This record gives sequence, C-alpha cells and structure tokens, in this order.
Amino acid sequence: MAGTRGRKKSEYYFDYSLLFIILFLVGFGLVMIYSASAYDASEQMGNEMYYLIHQGGAAALGLVAMLVVSRIPYHFWEHFTVIGYVVSVILILLVLSPLGIEANGARRWLNLGVSVQPAEIAKLAMILFLANIICKMGRKVRSWKAFGFIMAPVLVVCLLVWRVTDNLSSAIIIFGIAFLMLFVASPDYKRFVLITTAVGAVAALAVYVLSKSQITADTGFRSARIMAWLDPEAYASGKGFQTLQALYAIGSGGLFGKGLGGSMQKLGYLPEQQNDMIFSIICEELGLFGAIAVIVIFVLLIWRFMVIANNAPDLFGALLVVGVMGHIAIQVILNIAVVTNTIPNTGISLPFISYGGSSVLFLLIEMGLVMSVARGIRLKDV
Amino acid sequence: MEKSKTFHRKKIVAAFFVCVLLFAGLTARVTYLMIFRSEHYSQLAQDLHQRERKIKAMRGRILDSTGAVLADNRTVCTISVIHNQITDPDRVVSVLSKELGLSEETVRKRVEKVSSIEKIKSNVSKEIGDAIRACQLDGVKVDEDYKRYYPYGSLASKILGFTGADNQGILALESSYEEYLKGKEGTILETTDARGVQIEEMGEERVEPQSGDDLTLSLDMNIQQYATQLAEQVKKAKEAQSVSILVMRPDNGEILAMVDVPEYDLNDPFTLPEPVAEEEKQDALNRMWRNACINDTYEPGSAFKIITASAALEEGVVTEEDTFSCPGYIMVDDRRIRCAKVQGHGTETFVQGTMNSCNPVFITVGLRLGVERYYHYFEQFGLLEKTGVDLPGEAGTIMHKKENMGNVELATVSFGQSFQITPIQLAATVCSLINGGKRITPHLGVKTTNSDGEVTHTFSYPVREGVISEDTSRRLKSILFEVVENGGGKNGKVEGYRIGGKTATSETLPRGTGKYISSFLGFAPAEDPKVLALCIIRQPTGVYYGGMIAAPVVRQLFENILPYLEKKEYTDSVQP
Repeated sequence: MAGTRGRKKSEYYFDYSLLFIILFLVGFGLVMIYSASAYDASEQMGNEMYYLIHQGGAAALGLVAMLVVSRIPYHFWEHFTVIGYVVSVILILLVLSPLGIEANGARRWLNLGVSVQPAEIAKLAMILFLANIICKMGRKVRSWKAFGFIMAPVLVVCLLVWRVTDNLSSAIIIFGIAFLMLFVASPDYKRFVLITTAVGAVAALAVYVLSKSQITADTGFRSARIMAWLDPEAYASGKGFQTLQALYAIGSGGLFGKGLGGSMQKLGYLPEQQNDMIFSIICEELGLFGAIAVIVIFVLLIWRFMVIANNAPDLFGALLVVGVMGHIAIQVILNIAVVTNTIPNTGISLPFISYGGSSVLFLLIEMGLVMSVARGIRLKDV
Repeated sequence: MEKSKTFHRKKIVAAFFVCVLLFAGLTARVTYLMIFRSEHYSQLAQDLHQRERKIKAMRGRILDSTGAVLADNRTVCTISVIHNQITDPDRVVSVLSKELGLSEETVRKRVEKVSSIEKIKSNVSKEIGDAIRACQLDGVKVDEDYKRYYPYGSLASKILGFTGADNQGILALESSYEEYLKGKEGTILETTDARGVQIEEMGEERVEPQSGDDLTLSLDMNIQQYATQLAEQVKKAKEAQSVSILVMRPDNGEILAMVDVPEYDLNDPFTLPEPVAEEEKQDALNRMWRNACINDTYEPGSAFKIITASAALEEGVVTEEDTFSCPGYIMVDDRRIRCAKVQGHGTETFVQGTMNSCNPVFITVGLRLGVERYYHYFEQFGLLEKTGVDLPGEAGTIMHKKENMGNVELATVSFGQSFQITPIQLAATVCSLINGGKRITPHLGVKTTNSDGEVTHTFSYPVREGVISEDTSRRLKSILFEVVENGGGKNGKVEGYRIGGKTATSETLPRGTGKYISSFLGFAPAEDPKVLALCIIRQPTGVYYGGMIAAPVVRQLFENILPYLEKKEYTDSVQP
C-alpha cells in the first residue's frame, strides 16, 4: 500500500473542496478576530491590529506546515507515534516547570520561544498514537480487554491535561477523539452505546443534584458553573456573567445581525470576545443567517472528512482522518453548545476562528495529515 | 479486509450522522435564541449599553384668578467640565474662574481631576451661562435647567409652598398639586461601551420632556396683597405674635386670600429671620412654614355662638324675641360661669344677647338643646370632619367625646370654649350657615391649563346641601347684621354696605397668662353674602378685644375689596 507513491499525479486525488473550506474558515476567522478584537486591542495593546497580526502569522505558518505535511506520505509518521505520545506527556508536565505560562488564572501554556498549549500537541499526538496502536492490534481490538488496554494511555493523558493544566475541556476532547476512533475500529455498537448512556446518566444525575442547591462560598468551581448554566440570570454578576453576556450578543443579533463590525457586546461587555466567545459575536454581527452559514461550513468540513476516511487507502489513514474529524466535530459542537448555554460553561475554542496561535497551527497540521491521506486515494477507487 | 472495511465505513457514516444530528440540535438552539428570545436579550443588552440622562420638565406655573403669575420658572445653568475633552486647560481655568467668581485654584483642581464629568457650579444665571458658552471652550459643558422663582417673594408663602432640589413640590400647593405641576421628565439615551464612554456614531435617542400644567387659583393677588398689608400693620401695631386673615366666597368655597403673617421668602425658604442653633433649625423652619389657618387649631370663642344660634334656631328652642336675664354669671350644675360683662346684661332678647355676646344667654340656649341635639348639629355642620381644603396638613377638630359631655362641657362649647377647631373650619362652617345651608369645601385650585392654554382639568369640590334650612340661614344673617350694625361688632361697619359678623376674644391655654386671641368674622352683603373674611390676631398686647382690634381690620379690608369685587363681578359678567 505504501507503493502508491511514484504513480502519475493526475491519477491521484486532491480534495480541492477541503482546501477551499479550510482557506475560507481561516480567512473568515481572521476577519472575525479583527472585528471582535479591534476595540479591545486598541484599548489594551494600543494597536487594533494586535490580535489580527498574531493570528495571521500563526495561520500563515500553519498553512505552510499544512502544505508540507500534505506532501509527506502519512505512513512516515507511524514511526514517531510512541515518541509523540511520550513527548506530549513531557510537555504537559513541563507546564509545572518555570517554562509554564499562566494566563487568565490557569497554567496552560509553555514558553518555547512562542507560547504553545501542550494540550493542542497532545491532541495531534493522540490521534497518531491511537491510529497506529489500533492498526497494530488488528482484530484483537474488538475485545473489552483491548479496549481497556488502549484507553489506559488515553486516560493518563486526559488526567494529566485535566489536573496538570487545569483544562477539563481539552481532556474531554482527547477522550472523545479516542472514543470515536475506537468506535470506528470496532464492529460492536452495544459497548459504545452503553458507555455513552452511562456517562450521560451520571452527568444528568450530577446536574439534578446541583440544581437543588444554591451557590455558597464553599461550592466548587465546576458545581458553581453548572448552577450558573441552569439559570444564568440568577448569577448575572458572578458565574453566569460571561454566559449571559454571550446570550445578550446572540439574542441581539436577530435574523440578519447588526452587520460586520456592528457588535456592541465586543465593546468590553463580553469577556473572551475574540476567543472562546467569538461565535456569539458572529451571531450578533451576522445574525442567524451568519451563524447557520458557519455551522453549515463545519458540517461540510466534517462531510469531507467522512468521504476521505471512507475512501482512505488503508485503516491507518482512515483512522487518522476519523481522529481529526472527531477533534474538529467535538470542539465545534462543544464550543457552540457552551456559547448558547446549551451545556455548562467551559473554555473551548472554535476551531480556525477563535484566537489562538498554537490552536490554529496544530489544526492546520492536522488538515495537512488529512490531505496527505486524501492524496493516497486513487481516483478510480472513488 | 474487505469485510472489515464495510463496517468501518458504516461506523464513519454513523459518526457523521451523529455529528449532523448534534449540529441540527445546535442550529435549533441558535434559532430559538435568535428568533424567539431575541427581543428579551436585545432589550437586556440595550439596557446594558444605553445610559439614560434625564431632561427636567418645566414645572407648571401657579397663577391667581387675575392671571398674575405667583410661581414661575427661571432658566439657570450648570457648568461642568469633561476632563478628556479639554484642549486648553489654562484658558478654561481663567475663563471659568472669572465668569463664575471662583478662585483659580478651585477651578483648576476640578479641571485637572480625571473624571468623566466634573461639576463646577450649578444655579448659574442664564446670562453667565450664555457668556461661557460664547467662549466655545472645548470640554466645558453648559447645561440649562429650571429653577422655581416666586415673583412676589413672600406673598402667599404659606399657601404656595416651594420646591426642593429636584424641583419637586415640598409644601402647600406646590406639594398638593404636584402631579399636575411636575410634568414628565424627558430622557436622552446614549449608547456607551463597557467603560461608559459614549459611542458618538450611535447617536442618541431623545424623548422630549413634557411641561407641567399651569395651575389657576381662586386667590386674588390684589386682595391677598392688601390683606397681607393689613395683617402686617396690625401685627406691628399690636405687637402680636401672628395675624391670620382668611377671605373666601361663602357661595362656592373659593378662597380669595389666605394670609398668615409672618410669612417667609419663597425664593429663600431655608433662611430663618434670626439664626438659631443647628439642632433647632429644622423645628424653627417648620414653625416658619406653618400655616396657622389650616395647620393649627384654636378655641374659636364667641364667634362660635353663630353655630349655637344656628342650631337653636333650626331646632326651634329659641326665637329672636325670647327674653333672657343675665346677672353676670350663670350656674351650670354646681359650676358658676361668668359673663364677659361682670355686672351682667340684665334683661335682653336673644338678638340682643347675640349683639352683647352674652355667655349666659348662649349657655341657656345650649342647655335647652341638650348634649344629644347639640352634638347632632355639631356633626351635621361638618365640624367633626376636616374641611377637605386642597392644602396639605389640615388639622382636625379637637372635641369632647359625646359620652363624656355633661352640662358643664355643653355650656362651655356653646360659647366657643373647651374645644378647638382650625380657622378654615370656622370660616367654612359659617359660610355654609349663611349661604342657605350648603356645606362647601374651601379651596384654592380652580383649573389647570397646558402650555397651549387649553384647560386640562377643572376641579370640582363636594357640596353638601341642607345643612340648615333657608329660613334659619336668613334669620341668622339678620341677627349677625344687627351685631355689626348696633352690637359688639360695630367697628366692622362699612359705609354704604350691609355687613354681618361676630367678634370673639378668647384667652389662650393655659388660662391666666394674659394671652388672648382676638378675632372677627364678617361677611357682606349681609342678606346675600358674596364674601366672608376672618381675621385672627394672636397674643396682641394692650387692648385685646376682638371687636376693638380685629373688627377694624376686616372693616378696612372690606372698604377696599367690596368695591373692587363689585367692579370685578361687573366686568366678569359683561365679558363674553
């Protein structure tokens, strides 16, 4: 299968729709970051282009990386999966060292010349690691035992990301990616439905118990968030503040929005407006139509992933694409769900659009991987 | 491998559709928020983004019946500076300190203070405000505002009242007609960012203020002015504590003048005539603002014999020709009650007894009525209730309980002692006895008009008919005419007019301090009264008989206002 190289280029597939969607998302993201952050940037940084320039640089670097990676046959990475796993664990632990950077009350970043979130690297490393290990196991992967064996290193990383970098959302995403990859790798449905149901039931029970209580001084950070989720207006000046401000932005958008640049909430009212909460600014400025358009673009992106995964030349390639698909899908769904107060508030960025250099860089590298897999598809197979 | 690939594909497709399903759910959620909750959140967001600035409404004026403006508004300016808009601080400091008469240091301190807006001075006259505006200084704001202004100063101060810092009515008419006078505040809604900085390009929403309605009173400025002069004269001449004069129309209860000297300057209501200690200041101010015609009760004394006479005539326990004998005192149960004339009036008819203001005659008549019937008339005449005058703080009647009233109490009440009523109550009650038996409501407010001159509200006041019969009313008036014509009230006589009236002199409580309240109640013309006047002089020095000192005041008043009122009535009737 590695012998696909060397044939004439015209016979191979290049997913231009995917490229177009990615370029559109990156470009749209830059426009929205500029719109959302200009006020804040000129107030805080004295330069309204501050966030745009930083993100633009990371995006340019990312696009180059994407094109480079897309040219590298994806099997090349097979050899580095275990090293990648170990390195990402080390990087997470390094956050505790003086190299760690603290921002917004959480120590999540590493100073490696530029600031990098180890959790972003861990996501990519995890996708490669799992794709490799699942392929190596072959049919054995279907047993409960193998399931547990694979989940063990995943849970270690999840636990580290959660406890060391205090980043529950990334831990959930990594778990979700692993869960999806195992789901695809195994013919069984029952097991996965069972786990999903169990997790859902525990979450529902926790919410029910908390909904009966009040926020007091000794209420935990996450419990308080859940209670603010249930009734943000009751905690308007505390835990519900950000959510409520996001809802103001979304609600005041209406059908067609206030027009690009017309957001009021970005004028210092909504915290993290160019970051996790950027979707609410999109809603406010571009209205319901803009919001649905963004959702549709993401659905198209995931649809391309599905097509590529289904036509991937081998299981390793398919699993890589599935991992990336899981990553993007979970993150988009959770982000929009948080912003619309559908689930309790937790910090998740919107892929390609939210401000975040390491996020967009690693996302584009993942895109490069997917393109590389797509290149392996022979046109006559499609 | 081929087989396993099939389930992989199925699973990938399944995962894709689960994602699509979740996206569909989120789309529904977003749609719900942006369509069905849009109004709710838009409103909340707007409340958050908009800052409301109030525009004061112009308060309605108060006019007398001739159209003279008693309470007006003056434009005043508030000068403030906006720190981050100032371009030339030195010039701002020099111009403001010069125009406002403030020291340079004071102004500089405020100009250099980093704040969104800093007030330099308020209540600045419009001329100075315009002069500052003409300098076109960046960052200096001149806001116009209204301030209440009373052109006649202290005239009718006790009934007009004044307004507070927010232009709200505090006392008297300014307070009781607040809802008509105040108008509706306007608003300026400005959109701001989270730090409160106005976003200029968003513009502002303006809701114009609505001016309050003008209030027209029944008060006649000319009569009020003249009555005030008379009251001040007699207060000075008799070194009295205070003098009240009440002039009203018996037929409809309209008050033409209400004087209670000493009055106070409405344009400076917080300055006392003489300084007092800080802790006593509020009490002293309250005393200064108090309107004795309404807020205070007193023993009406002999003037109350009008009420006893009315009840007795109505009930038929006495006629004009009934004869009485006054030895200078009368025994009631075991109590000996003196007549004002110690040597006694001898034999006299009821009319003569009234002219002499003879206590034993009225005690006898009162006892003939008995507690039950006397109390019934007391109540029927409206003496137990407040008059309902359109001024705040009217005091109620202080009267014996019926079950506690014995003959002695009845006897004292018959000639106006041992209970207390307000001057307005006495005047209103006598009005209803001499107008044919209609209990009128004394009042000042007649109508309100809006800024276009259209009448927005005409006030009507309750009238209760049948207080006494027309016949009793007529007989009472002729007796009271005799009192002025030939009796104790002869000092109230006015050349060319037929005046009815009754004098009164009562010792203040506690008795024996030599302090008296002298009063005279007169009305004219005696047969068909068009005007009633009550003059009360509190604690005069020297001669203290009501017939000697209060009756002349009413006479002088009538001498001037009766021709005036006749002329006014004539011009009113020929005008369309």
